[in-house]
Amino acid sequence: MDMNQYLSMFIDESNDHLQSLNENMLQLEDNPEDIAIVQVIFRSAHTLKGMAATMGFEDLASLTHQMENVLDLVRNDKLKMQDYIFDTLFKSLDALQSMVLDITQGGEGKADVAAIVDSLQAIVRGEKPGAGKADSAAASGSTGEAPKTAIELDEFQQSVLEQSLAEGHKVHYIEVSIREDCQLKAVRAYMVFDLLERFGEIVKSSPTVQEIEQEKFDTSFALYYITQKDSADLESMIMNVSEIATAKVIPAGQESLGQLTASASKQAAAASEAPEAPAAASSAASAPAKAAAPKGSAQDKAPAKRHGTGTPVPSRTIRVDIERLDALMNLFSELLIDRVRMEQLASEIKRSELTEAVEHMARVGNDLQNIVLKLRMVPVDTVFNRFPRMVRDLSKSLDKKIDLVITGAETELDRTVIDEIGDPLVHLLRNAVDHGVETTSERIAAGKPETGTINLKAFHSGNHVFIEIVDDGHGIDREKVAAKAIKNGILTKEQASGMSDDEIALLLFAPGFSTAEKISDISGRGVGLDVVKSKIESLGGTVHVTSTLGQGSKFSVQLPLTLSIISAMLIKVGDEKYAIPLSSIVETGLLKRSQIREVHGYKMIPYRNSNIPLLSLKQIFSIPGFDEESEEESEIVVIRKGDRIAALTVEDFIGQSEIVIKNLGKYLPSIQGVAGGTILGDGQVALIIDPNAFIK
Amino acid sequence: MGQEMKVIVFKLGTEEYGIDVDKVQTIERMLPITRVPKTYAFVKGVVNLRGVVIPVIDLRGRFGLPETELTDQTRIIIVSASDMEVGFIVDSANDVIDLDTDSIDTPPEVVGGIKAKYLDGVARISEERLLIMLNLSEVLNKSEIIQLESIEG
Repeated sequence: MDMNQYLSMFIDESNDHLQSLNENMLQLEDNPEDIAIVQVIFRSAHTLKGMAATMGFEDLASLTHQMENVLDLVRNDKLKMQDYIFDTLFKSLDALQSMVLDITQGGEGKADVAAIVDSLQAIVRGEKPGAGKADSAAASGSTGEAPKTAIELDEFQQSVLEQSLAEGHKVHYIEVSIREDCQLKAVRAYMVFDLLERFGEIVKSSPTVQEIEQEKFDTSFALYYITQKDSADLESMIMNVSEIATAKVIPAGQESLGQLTASASKQAAAASEAPEAPAAASSAASAPAKAAAPKGSAQDKAPAKRHGTGTPVPSRTIRVDIERLDALMNLFSELLIDRVRMEQLASEIKRSELTEAVEHMARVGNDLQNIVLKLRMVPVDTVFNRFPRMVRDLSKSLDKKIDLVITGAETELDRTVIDEIGDPLVHLLRNAVDHGVETTSERIAAGKPETGTINLKAFHSGNHVFIEIVDDGHGIDREKVAAKAIKNGILTKEQASGMSDDEIALLLFAPGFSTAEKISDISGRGVGLDVVKSKIESLGGTVHVTSTLGQGSKFSVQLPLTLSIISAMLIKVGDEKYAIPLSSIVETGLLKRSQIREVHGYKMIPYRNSNIPLLSLKQIFSIPGFDEESEEESEIVVIRKGDRIAALTVEDFIGQSEIVIKNLGKYLPSIQGVAGGTILGDGQVALIIDPNAFIK
Repeated sequence: MGQEMKVIVFKLGTEEYGIDVDKVQTIERMLPITRVPKTYAFVKGVVNLRGVVIPVIDLRGRFGLPETELTDQTRIIIVSASDMEVGFIVDSANDVIDLDTDSIDTPPEVVGGIKAKYLDGVARISEERLLIMLNLSEVLNKSEIIQLESIEG
């Protein structure tokens, strides 16, 4: 069956479930006694298992199944949560996560989970063997003679079989193998199926009918079959089909049905998954057991979701392709342009009805604009939510005690920024855990509370979002950093003595810098913080560090709300309009042309205490219709790239404006000095200048 | 019997050309074009098509034909092919016709000054009327343009 259309849904939902598993596990670690949390975890695991099994990701399903077994014992008070159980469960979660990741990247979600499965099973066995009801019984039951191609039945199929038995039909387990030399196995198999379907109903076959039709099977297949005929008849019927080697028909009663599934689950537990086997086995055994079963299977159905848990009701959301939102944005900005035109017309025509209508439209338009802009916003929580787990693991492996306090997780950022900001933040947090917060003994010696605290804070300010990572560790040792920087040749002694503490702290972001005495696997390889800095700057943001020795340090990341809207200065040269991003403008000013000097054929102008190169936008872009040489004074824009600055002559400043960045289409090759286009209020396209390209 | 296809017919000078209707997004009257510096001469610039910035090329220039003045009849045909959206400036575009793929012949070496590789073939509509079918992916092929540029430059 084609599952591709469900795949993306599966991935999204799996990620959601994994996330909630992670979060709840962390909560549970704080309150190991809270059965309500276990219930939530169990349900998540159960849903995940079901989805994985449906999609055919068997490793994924089998691992979740084993986790479920453990959790089941816990929630039934048969097992107390302990550290090693947590660790094993967390490990399983990691394995699940990597499998889902593999699936996301087009893999098959296969992974060697035998070790984890073993330890999970050990946990299940380790606690009072008799108490583990059907599942542990199945796991430790005698080997028995399980059929070679055992079929797993799901709950529904199981109940169908039981019902037919109750109604006096006969249920058979049939194994058919086709002769090795058969050329058209699928055809023979089809003939068997066709034959059987004339006299009864096939409940389930292994491999599935589709697989058999596509000849995706070896030489044998097995199936459950409901009919009125008895086994001898069936056997001779099947043998009558040519090229059939053997046909084994085993009548299945209530008892054997239970056994079959139980032994099947036993076999499957090792290799693949057996979703409902425990519940199935217990319900097949006797009716009363079925009534008692709700513990196992009924409880994880919907009704239980409502009560008994402290988790917030999931928000009512739909997932929308980001391209559709972009299309909506595009169309909407067109509407705004028309609105301006309408307003102009209305003011010319001067009819009050028209003016009123246009004004109303303008108001609605404003509200609409806010909503459209908000649609792309995502709470930073989507990035933050994986951090508690990460900090927990890190601090455990470093033998530190650390509390991560997150505030402002609801702060919203544009989706494009959110997608990019995760890695830099991970780096900064790792840094804080590894280098910031001291070990427990050091903290005690310094008279600080045993447990360190890292505050992760997000908040809005103006057109920017700030994310701060504050630790109460030992702070940045100015002398150590300076010494290291001098040793690495990043700066000289004289430079170092003239620098402020914050400037010294910023050296941490210099390439090839690491003060950690020993290299750990968490941070300290000398790559990292400089990558963080360049990543954040590529997003149009900045990083600052402040630190007090002995009291901790604060890394502050400033990010633009969105990547697609920037502040820019609109300028005019000849008939053409261009936008220059404000972020690369130092200042604007007037220049007397008499001040221009020629140095080695380059034009230079005095600026502050130095000379900077003067560039002409007209010349660079060969813009017609403007003669700057004849002017007495030229407007200049002083632009910068890092530390280097240059002046750019333009004809006129139009003003500052928020512009939406658009690319120029795939057909055009990238043009030096042009970063993209934007649509102005009059509907025309203006090119956005990339000043970085002008400064070499 | 070949397959039926719908073709947008446009003119460059006196020649009539055809593009598969599926490849055509819209046909627009002249839009204000923003010049893009430092690019090929036949790229006239970019336009704003309902919020999307789309590059526009002069098809005459692309085929090495002399460029002409814009008129009332001048149209921009927005095509999308090979995952790109591009506008073609053409002298006029005012017809959609049904065509039998059987009536398309392989093109001779040069038709109306255009190299054969830009063409899919020539369709005979009537005794007097020939339609030159464009091979869009070749027309939009950039690697060839880059070669062209480097020879000229």
